[in-house]
Amino acid sequence: MLKTEKSLEEMSKQQVVDYLNETVKPEEGVIPAYLLGDPKVYDIEHEKVFLKTWVFIGHDSEVPNKGDFMTRELAGYSLIITRDAEGEIRAFYNMCTHRGMKLCRADKGNKSLFTCPYHGFNFKNTGELVGVPLQKDIYGGNLDRSEMGLHKVKLESYKGLLFGTWNEDAEPLEELLGDIKWYLDILVGRAEMEVIGVPQRFVVNSNWKVGSDNFVGDSYHTMVTHGSIAKLGMVPNATYSKRGFQIHTDNGHGLNLGTPNPDFAFPEELKDEFKTNLSEEQYGVLSNLKNMIGNVFPNLSFLISHTKIKDQFISNTSIRMWRPIGHNKMEVIAWMLVEKNASQDWKDRSRDSFILTFSPSGIFEQDDTEVFTDITEAAQGPMPFLKNLTYNYTMGLHREPVDFIGPGVAYDDKFTEASQRNFYKYWLELMTK
Amino acid sequence: MNVEKMLLKCQFEQWLYDEAQLLDDIEFDDWFDLMHSSLRYQMPVRVNKEGVERPDYSTEMFTFNDDIELLKLRVDRLKTDYAWAEIPPSRTRRFVSNVRVKDYVEGEKAVVKSYLLIYRSRSTDIQHDLISGERNDEFIFEEGKWKLSKRIFIVDQSTINTRNLAIFV
Repeated sequence: MLKTEKSLEEMSKQQVVDYLNETVKPEEGVIPAYLLGDPKVYDIEHEKVFLKTWVFIGHDSEVPNKGDFMTRELAGYSLIITRDAEGEIRAFYNMCTHRGMKLCRADKGNKSLFTCPYHGFNFKNTGELVGVPLQKDIYGGNLDRSEMGLHKVKLESYKGLLFGTWNEDAEPLEELLGDIKWYLDILVGRAEMEVIGVPQRFVVNSNWKVGSDNFVGDSYHTMVTHGSIAKLGMVPNATYSKRGFQIHTDNGHGLNLGTPNPDFAFPEELKDEFKTNLSEEQYGVLSNLKNMIGNVFPNLSFLISHTKIKDQFISNTSIRMWRPIGHNKMEVIAWMLVEKNASQDWKDRSRDSFILTFSPSGIFEQDDTEVFTDITEAAQGPMPFLKNLTYNYTMGLHREPVDFIGPGVAYDDKFTEASQRNFYKYWLELMTK
Repeated sequence: MNVEKMLLKCQFEQWLYDEAQLLDDIEFDDWFDLMHSSLRYQMPVRVNKEGVERPDYSTEMFTFNDDIELLKLRVDRLKTDYAWAEIPPSRTRRFVSNVRVKDYVEGEKAVVKSYLLIYRSRSTDIQHDLISGERNDEFIFEEGKWKLSKRIFIVDQSTINTRNLAIFV
């Protein structure tokens, strides 16, 4: 492997990019450890990934009514997401255009006017500046309010999933999603879905890519990291996690699809709604689904999990974002989704199974966070770079894809690392563009 | 506060101190024995609201929402050899204070509020986590003992700054 006299810190940005090109070899299954621990790589990621591509910002059911708003972050910058009197959803930079004060400090609420705490400038939820205290007197009637609306953020949605980007030239969201849409239909397009309550939020000392990597294709860890779940009889056995398919699609997306399932994992009474919203092929997959774990590049992971709780099977659907807040720190934001037309009993049981398994207290999730933290810690500082420490991503390199009813490149069980290689391949493409 | 009320407060303080010791000493079975079969063990997600709008926590989404069966499952899980989140166990220290008996029927039931500060240290990590909040507890008197029948823990962070809640609050 290439040796360099310089540390990453001393390199110019172009030198780092060249170095990435030489050392990151997803197609050979070689990923260097410094990618998880280096602040310079993190800074370039911010610029070339998070400021360039579409990033998840919420679900439209979180602002169901006219006048609803919520605040979110996009690549480290606060957004206000509003639904106006006509029902249109918009996103704005949460900054007063007069002196830059953060306009809104609540997580969510309902109001059509936002008043800046600094000088009282008033903005409508459509972004227009509609009021300036003492305006005529102090600006002599010369202030052009029409030039001072809130900075609008590009927003597009797919099946209720809202994405934002700072990049005015970003390709249309649906193009970026591409073939993963077929699977997102099963996840969030199968019925009218709603977020229950508010998302869970917690901070883990982990690089964000460890989370994406785990969800995009790593079912192999389930037998060990989540061995306690099989011991408790909540899943059939320790190797159940191998059965099914691994699929990846263009632009770094991927998933593991656990099949078959002798039980129907979703509310029986909504079968007609599912059939209306899905193609025959998609409904076939849904009917046989045991679980579905995947990642939309860069950091939106998703999950359908079907477990036995109190002698009864129940599924839960969730999406989670690994929001980077440093090279070794992320905020996990996890939303739980449920069919809006499901019974209250189903919704409650599904929610409680989500809380029990995937939340800060979740008995799956808590063991993952332990692993994520220790992987990140081991990758920190100059040594992993100097010693060229790498991770092995060669599992399944010898295998040929199979025919699958859905789009993408599919393998006929979940124990391969093709999805992780595909994730890093696209990551490298963006980083070195 | 008269002597009777002081003794009452003292009684529940002692209960909470004993509970804290069991949790800090990782005596989960003994801790579980303090629970009443009708238990609701809840920790709502805290929300940042505008102004003084209340409640400032979610009534629909929780970090814990267990009944006695689910809590038992958690305790049993910690005893398998695969509960990595607590291998080795965190060192915790629970500080209970500001205990107030809000309602009391002798030999029957009680409502007690208290503050809780948990110090958590993992492995060799020199950083520690602090979890702070208010407990809203309800007790039922059964077979000569006070059993916890309801706990709502209102945590003081909307983004929880500890890697997981593999520990109890």
